[in-house]
Amino acid sequence: MRRNQGCNPLEHLMARRQFLAGTAAGAVGMGVLGTHAQADQLKREDKRILQVFLQGGVSQLESWDPKPGTVHGGPFQAIPTSVPGIHISELLPHIAQRMHHLSIVRSINIKINDHEQGRQFMEKGRRVGDFPYVGAVASKYLTPADSELPGYIHVSSRGLTDVAGGAAFLGAKHGQLKLEGIQPPGNLAAPVGIDALADASRDQLRLQFNQRFVQRRSKALTEAYDASYQQAAKLMSRKAMFEGQASQQDLDRYGTHDFGRYCLLARTLLENGAACVKVTHHGYDSHAENFNFHLEQLGEFDKPFCMLLDDLKARGMLESTLVVIYSEFGRTPTVNVRYGRDHWGTAWSIALGGCGIQPGGVIGKTNDTGTAVADREVDAGHLFHTYLQAVGLDSTANHDLQGRSIPIGDPAAQPIKELLA
Amino acid sequence: MTPENPAQAAVDVNAIDPTQTHQVAEFKHEIALTTLRVDPTDRFAAAGAEDLDVQLWDLASGARRTLSGHKSWVRSIDFSADGNRMFTACWGGVVNVWDTSQAKPEPLQTIRAHQGSARFVRVSPDGQHLATCGNDLLVRVWNLADGKLVHEFSGHTRHVYGVDFHPQGKHLVSQDLLGGINVWDLESGTHQQSIDASVMTGYDNKFAADMGGARDMQFKPDGSQWASAGITKVTNSFAGVQDPIIVLFDWETGQEVKQLKSADDNVKGIAWGVRYHPDDFIIGAIADKSGKGELWFYKPDEEKAFHTMKLSSAARGLDLLSDNRRLAVAHADGHLRLYRMTAPSPAQATATETSG
Repeated sequence: MRRNQGCNPLEHLMARRQFLAGTAAGAVGMGVLGTHAQADQLKREDKRILQVFLQGGVSQLESWDPKPGTVHGGPFQAIPTSVPGIHISELLPHIAQRMHHLSIVRSINIKINDHEQGRQFMEKGRRVGDFPYVGAVASKYLTPADSELPGYIHVSSRGLTDVAGGAAFLGAKHGQLKLEGIQPPGNLAAPVGIDALADASRDQLRLQFNQRFVQRRSKALTEAYDASYQQAAKLMSRKAMFEGQASQQDLDRYGTHDFGRYCLLARTLLENGAACVKVTHHGYDSHAENFNFHLEQLGEFDKPFCMLLDDLKARGMLESTLVVIYSEFGRTPTVNVRYGRDHWGTAWSIALGGCGIQPGGVIGKTNDTGTAVADREVDAGHLFHTYLQAVGLDSTANHDLQGRSIPIGDPAAQPIKELLA
Repeated sequence: MTPENPAQAAVDVNAIDPTQTHQVAEFKHEIALTTLRVDPTDRFAAAGAEDLDVQLWDLASGARRTLSGHKSWVRSIDFSADGNRMFTACWGGVVNVWDTSQAKPEPLQTIRAHQGSARFVRVSPDGQHLATCGNDLLVRVWNLADGKLVHEFSGHTRHVYGVDFHPQGKHLVSQDLLGGINVWDLESGTHQQSIDASVMTGYDNKFAADMGGARDMQFKPDGSQWASAGITKVTNSFAGVQDPIIVLFDWETGQEVKQLKSADDNVKGIAWGVRYHPDDFIIGAIADKSGKGELWFYKPDEEKAFHTMKLSSAARGLDLLSDNRRLAVAHADGHLRLYRMTAPSPAQATATETSG
């Protein structure tokens, strides 16, 4: 289904379900999603996204699309899950018990085998161009106005440079705030000798300077600057959130290693109003020792992720939180001479669930040896539309940028409708 | 009478000389091999592969039998002293027992040895027991007569990669991913000693993961030492960039005695095999990240290998035949090759010259 460019823009402001339900769908002529009352309604619905990025390219054969006993199947076996008929790798025993919360897409072909290009495509839903990441779009359209946290927060132990935090033309306010693990950003405390009154006074002075500066220059020049101050102010007021000690009970469940603590922080951030939290788990680029490394890495990933999933469910948040487990690509079916699998964007998988997603399903399939997509081929463009529609955004609408209209999702791609609840 | 070719007459093709190691036989499988073992009577060579089967070759005739019964790749193999029983451990945690005298062997017994991979299997010197280790962090000892568990040793904190019996049969040594070595007393059923072999592990900072483990272990026949094969100096293990290493340990003290490394700094990969030779040298089998390999020949009192033989395909397993002249190597190209550590026979030398 192509985007219907003949439609009134308003129709695209609301998700399909909401539009059909008639929630304020009769209004016309109000085309700016970010300022519109209906967009505000979406924000009040408090929907959010949790991205778990398995950096380097998790092997689909060792995770979501196992093919034991086949020529490229590797040494691991498939295990049944809580959904009859769906089997996943034995390396994910905890997820297997919670498969009824998730669905799998097994037919991704992005035609890219490069880390950076693959990652950009998976984040932006477009192969080329300066477009915002999913997280930045969520920040813009899902962050409540009174949110006390930046909209898009990334918890990672290292690396992964994102230009403008992935915000592109949405502005720095919606760029990714990257946290180095569970450590709070630096300099959250006011300098010694500056009390709250003095701090407010100097901020007032800064704003006055800004106003004079802006009178003769483009407003955009100060927006990024202001956004940084606003983010910093929000974080300073919530500094205690980072300083809180995880309970022993949580540590027993999530584990004491980095990824367990990242998942605990993600829970806190989501509970406190972040529109998109991305947690990166490194270490899947296994050109050598693929099987031992997947044993180690997925062994570390499986349980903490499930504890987070359980907690979202128990707190009534899973229905309003889209959960996506993804990589920049998968890994080759062929095992190389180092017991490794190499980059493979041709036929691989992700898993997702929660808000707006039909759980317990499998979309598409690969052939018997995993070397090609056999049914329902999709790419990152389709996934991008699907994510946004799952959280109630019409991905076929436009970003309205003071006179410029830019399609939110790639007009050449469509959502995976059978995956949407 | 004067020989027609005095040079040929001078060649002793039975004198062990590793510097003249050459290939004498080749057995082909269609899939990359993962490990091998030669039975103590030199009748059979068995290999695991990146499939679910075991390949069992008759070394005299070259005849091959394919043994099916595992549901995962075979990681380790051992034989009874008479060669009539074979024990195979797989990534699925199962150890199968086979009768090698059968035309089409099927598992006589299946032992659910470990949760997760069973990484190593070894028969005790008296032939009564089997030692296994695996991803459940356990080392287990089984009674071969009835398949019952005799000992279960816990204490490793990461996956246990290798285990071997001391030749006197009263102790076991096991080594895990992080280079933790434990010595277990089989008479008392207790932990006797912990040894640090952290030189054989490394944390890959970029990818946030550990690399290491014993990929092969063997005691010196007199029991005074054991050797462990694996890796050191992790640089980028996700691309296979670390140094292969064999470390020798003194049995009495538990101290490291010597580190054996490649003479070529460009060789990066894993040492997958080690054997003590009765003539007091040590043989190592290496897989380079390029897909090629090396055989190392080291004298214990010398700093560098006295000979290195380049291999066209990475080595994934090594064994020494009981004639002490031939080596069996499992290769990543699917071949099991026999190499002879002597001068080539005149016929072989002529054939090599002709083909060359």
